Parts: sequence; structure tokens; C-alpha cells
Amino acid sequence: MNTTVDVLNILLPLLYGGLLFLYGRSFFKTASRADRLKTAALAVTVIIHLIYLLLRTILFNHPPITTPFEIMTVIAFCIAAAYLFIEGISKVHGTGLFVLIPAFFFQIISTLLISDLGEVPEILRSNLLGFHVTSALLGYAAIAVGAMYGLLYLMLYHDIKSNHFSVIYKRLPNLEILESMSFRSTLFGFICLSIAIGVGLLWLPIAFGEIFYSDPKLIGSLFIWILYAVGLVSKRVAGWHGRKIAVLHVSAFIIAIFSITIVNFFFRSFHQFY
Amino acid sequence: MNLLSIGANHRTAPIDIRERLYFSEKELERAYEVLLNKYGFKEAVIVSTCNRTEIYTVTNPFTMRYGDLLNFIKEQKNASDFVKPEYFYRQFASGAANHLFSVASGIDSMIVGDIQILAQIKDAYYYAEQKKTTGFLMNRVFNTAFRVGKRARNETEIGEGAVSISYAAVELASKIFADLSKKRALLIGAGETGELTAKHLKNKGIGELRITNRTRQRSQELADRIGGRVVEFENFIGELKQCDIVISSISSDEHILKAPMLQGIMKQRGSEPLFIIDIGVPRNIDPACNKYESVFLHDIDSLKHIIDRNLEKRKAEIPIIEKIIREELVELFKWYNSLKLNPTISDLRQMFEFIRQAEVEKHINRFNKDDRELLDLVTKRIVNKLLHTPMTTLRTSNGDPQEDTLSHISTIRKLFGLERKD
Repeated sequence: MNTTVDVLNILLPLLYGGLLFLYGRSFFKTASRADRLKTAALAVTVIIHLIYLLLRTILFNHPPITTPFEIMTVIAFCIAAAYLFIEGISKVHGTGLFVLIPAFFFQIISTLLISDLGEVPEILRSNLLGFHVTSALLGYAAIAVGAMYGLLYLMLYHDIKSNHFSVIYKRLPNLEILESMSFRSTLFGFICLSIAIGVGLLWLPIAFGEIFYSDPKLIGSLFIWILYAVGLVSKRVAGWHGRKIAVLHVSAFIIAIFSITIVNFFFRSFHQFY
Repeated sequence: MNLLSIGANHRTAPIDIRERLYFSEKELERAYEVLLNKYGFKEAVIVSTCNRTEIYTVTNPFTMRYGDLLNFIKEQKNASDFVKPEYFYRQFASGAANHLFSVASGIDSMIVGDIQILAQIKDAYYYAEQKKTTGFLMNRVFNTAFRVGKRARNETEIGEGAVSISYAAVELASKIFADLSKKRALLIGAGETGELTAKHLKNKGIGELRITNRTRQRSQELADRIGGRVVEFENFIGELKQCDIVISSISSDEHILKAPMLQGIMKQRGSEPLFIIDIGVPRNIDPACNKYESVFLHDIDSLKHIIDRNLEKRKAEIPIIEKIIREELVELFKWYNSLKLNPTISDLRQMFEFIRQAEVEKHINRFNKDDRELLDLVTKRIVNKLLHTPMTTLRTSNGDPQEDTLSHISTIRKLFGLERKD
């Protein structure tokens, strides 16, 4: 089984690279064979990735959430699976190249640096923690997809506004669809993050007894959650649409990534288990 | 292949000549009669559109009759005084097929990738078929042309992108709005391009069309023609609160909509996008209106920019289509060359002999040793008798196949699966 996991670990970035090639070719050239193959290739990649995660869980006897590089492969999987789902329900096929780029890079970094944690702390074996981490990862994957659609909205908006009718103009779906996809992904991400925070707060006193409400990661997560909550409320209350909301989705995601990075590198947190 | 064609198009003849060469449906009826009865052509198809008039016929290779076809056109169109031979191109065999395929694929059109031409060729062919002026060769050539046209559209981007101002405007609207049936459009002015744009929006299912013009009567006439609700010109600014698309093509020396006038409207609209197409010359809308975040203002120059880019992209597809045409020409001539008498007779004999031998081998053990020779002899006789009549019919042409013989050969190859051997 060890060999299978190792082989799949090397295979996955190649599969994601192949997907980028197919989606890229289909984006820049319609009526190509890539047009017909890409969705099937994505489905196969998602299935292989899922098998890899399951085998890894069985082999090491814990879910792949114990190191940043295990988490990265789970995020890559979540992005690819979320995109497959979105493509299936929206029938919009022109955006895969952009959405799958982060999945590809997350997987490459994971493949190069992943290793098993020799001793897994007992705390990481809790079911509540598993639920908390899964919701958080799904949430971050969804807001990443939402931000990517926001970015595509801004690119197309710029093309139309400035009479620069590039390949972006030709291949992307219309502004309203991009806005709707960005909003739906972000809303889904927000719901997942809310669940993650809720479950985390529930699990904290059980796991530690003494509660660290001043923990930097906790404050950072709440800050991100409030940012998204304000954005979603503004859309509803102030009737924000279009460019404003796209800018909000993209900037909120950048701030979220930035704050996670700052917290992880510069502050000590009880959240570090490895 | 005895295919002969003659024609004049936008490259060889000026528009006034093309107009005079055009065959109406009424004229076509008589034209086919004359072509067949007076000039003695067995097969003919006349393709006549606003940009080209072409005649495809099947003729004897030793007496190519371009002169007859030219005389026919002069006679039918009373054109002796204005038709010059240099207006016409003449093609034979692969040249004629190649030209027809280029026309069907849209690469020979005035606007490269014109999607209407394939339908026009189909109409011309079906009309000829109805008049019984097409035979097995013309059928094959035209069906191949339809396949070329279909492949060109499916395998390339020759028909992609708008190439007229009105279509470019609608294409742009479809890049902003997801569902035009939930949108309202306001047409200001009753100009031709504005009307065309409004018609395209209607065809795309726009939710509601409102029309305004300085002269109410003209608005009403347009509304009656294309459907829509007339609004007073004096109130058109107020209409902008509710409309999502504005098409302006009014004749005016100054801007009818200035940026400050739009400020209040945009506040009321919130972030709802407003797409304004200004096709008036001089421009009707103040370009400063584009400064508002949710306003997408496009004038005739930006629409022309879209058209130019689309045309460039279409032209870039021509080499791929030429490759498709070459492939189809090769297939067509492979088929045509297979219609030779002796190889067909030989193929047919081989196939029957193969079946006979296989059956004999399968059942030979059920016969006594003495009967086996007899079995071989009897089955050979059966095969010979079965083949006798078809072989005799085929050989009556004596190695110089006429259209009927070619048709028989084609049918036999198809029925007995001999085409697969090619």
C-alpha cells in the first residue's frame, strides 16, 4: 500500500498538470479534442485523488490533516471536486483553467514536501476536530473558487469597459453568470467557515479545558468570518452588485490568506499540533 | 469527372452585374427547362444569390461547353449587351468541386464564414432535385459539399463571432447579461442599424422593447413592424431607470444624453448594469457617461473593433478549412475512380468466390469423398449463374462508362459492400 500511495502522490501533480493543459487548450481553441475530454479527465482525477486520500488515511491511521502539506492536498482535492460540481450544475465550461491553477500548485507543494507525522497527538484523533477541519478546508476551498470567479469577473469587466476584446471576452461566460458563481461559491464557503468556527468553539473546552479566546488564529479566523459576513450583508442590504462585490470577494480572499500566513509564521498558537 | 461549372461572384463582377445575373425562383423554373431541353445537359444545379450566380453541370469531357453555358446566361438574362467573358470563372472536374466546397464552407463568401450560403446552396440543390435535374454524380458532389460546410462549422471557428454592427451589439449584450428575457431595451431613433439591432434583440428573446423617436409616427410604425411599446421622446431619460439596454441611433448634432443627466439615474439604479449602444454618427451619447461603474457605453467604433477582430479570427481558420476540403476531395475522387468497370467485376467475383469457398469448407465433411468434387462444381455453377445477368448488364457499356453504367457500378459497390474495399 505504501508504494501505491507514493505512486499516487507523484501521479497527482501530473494529472493536475494534464488537466491544466486540457482546460487551457480548450480555452484558447474551441472545437478541439480537449473540449470533449476535459470534464471526463477532471472526474477521473478527482476520483484518483479521493482514492489517494482514503489510502493515506488507512495507511497512516489518521485523516490527512496533521501537517500543512497534508492539508494542501486536501485543499487541492476540495477545489477540484467543488469545480467539478459547479461545472456539472452550471454547464459553464470555460473557467476551469483559472479555477484549477491553485489546485495544481497546492498539489505540487504537497507532493514535494509531504511526509507522515511519526507520532500523531491524541488530540488530532477527535471526531469533532475532524469535522471542524473538514468544514474549514471546504470553506477555504469554496472562498478560493469564489475569489477566482470574482477575478474573472473583473478581467471580463475590464475587457468590456475598455473595448479590449481579448480571448477572455471571447471564452468566458457573461458577467452576470460569473457574479452569480462567485457569490454562490463564497456563500457556500461562508457557511462552511461558520460551521468550522462553531464546531471549533464547541470542541475547544472539551479538548483543552482552559480556553484561549485570545489565540491569534482564533482572532484571525473570526476576523475573516466578520469580513465575509459584512460583504454578504452589504449585498443583501445595500444592493451591491457587479464590480463592487467582485472586488470584495477577491480582496477578502487576499486578506484571508494574508492573515492566515501572518498568524502561522509570526505568532505561536495552540492551533499548531505538529 | 465530368463536372463543369461557370459563375460570377463578388470578386469577378461588380454589384450591378451581379444583380442583373440573379435568377429569381420564377426564372429558375424556365432556366432548368432550357438547360435540359435546349442545351441537352443531363444534370444541372443553379446557385443564385445576391453575391453569386453559378451553374454546375455534368457534361462530356471531350466537348466542354463553357460557351453553351455563357450563351445560356446571356439568353436567359437578356445580358448580351453587358456580360463580358471576364466576369466569369470556369472550372472543370476537381476545380469545380473544389470551388463548390469553398463556397459551401463560407471561405469564398464576401464576408468570410457567412452562415447563410450553406442554406442557400442546399435550397438550390433541393430545387434542382425537385426538377429532376440532378443525377448520381451531382448528388454525390453536393452531398459532399454539405458535409464540408457542416465540418467547417463544427471543426473550426469560421462562423464564430459577430461580423455586423447589429450582431456585435447583441453579442456584447450577451456578454453582460445572462438572461435577456428578463431585460428591457430602449431603442432611440428609427435608423436602419438601430432597427436591425432591435430585431436581433427580439430574436434573442429580449423581455420588453420600448421605442422612442422625435417623430412619434415613425416610432409607432417601427413598433408595429417589429413589436414594442412607444414612449415619448421627451421622457426617455426617465425610461433609463427601468431599461437595461439602450440603443441610440438618432440624428443629432449634440449629445442627447450627457454624463450629469445620468448621475441621478445611476444612483437610483444602484449597481444594476446599463448597457448603452451608441450607433449614431455624430455620436448621440456623451462619452463621459462611461465613467459610471455600472455603465457600459459602446459606440460604432468599438463595435467595428469587435467585427474586425472576429473577421481576422475567421480568416485564420481558412487553412484548416482548405485541409478539410482537400480531405473531402480525395474521398470524392477515390469513390469516383472506384466506379471503373473491370475492378468492380473482379471485386464482385472475388467476393462471391470467397463466400462460396467458405461455405464449401464449412460443410465439406458432411459429404462423401466422391461427392466433394461435385459439391465444388455445383456451387461454382450456382455462383456463375447468379452473377451472369449483372455482369452482362455492366459489360454492355463496353469499357466506356456512361452515366447509367456509373450509376449501376455505384449501386453494386454500395449493395455488396465493395466500397469498404477502397
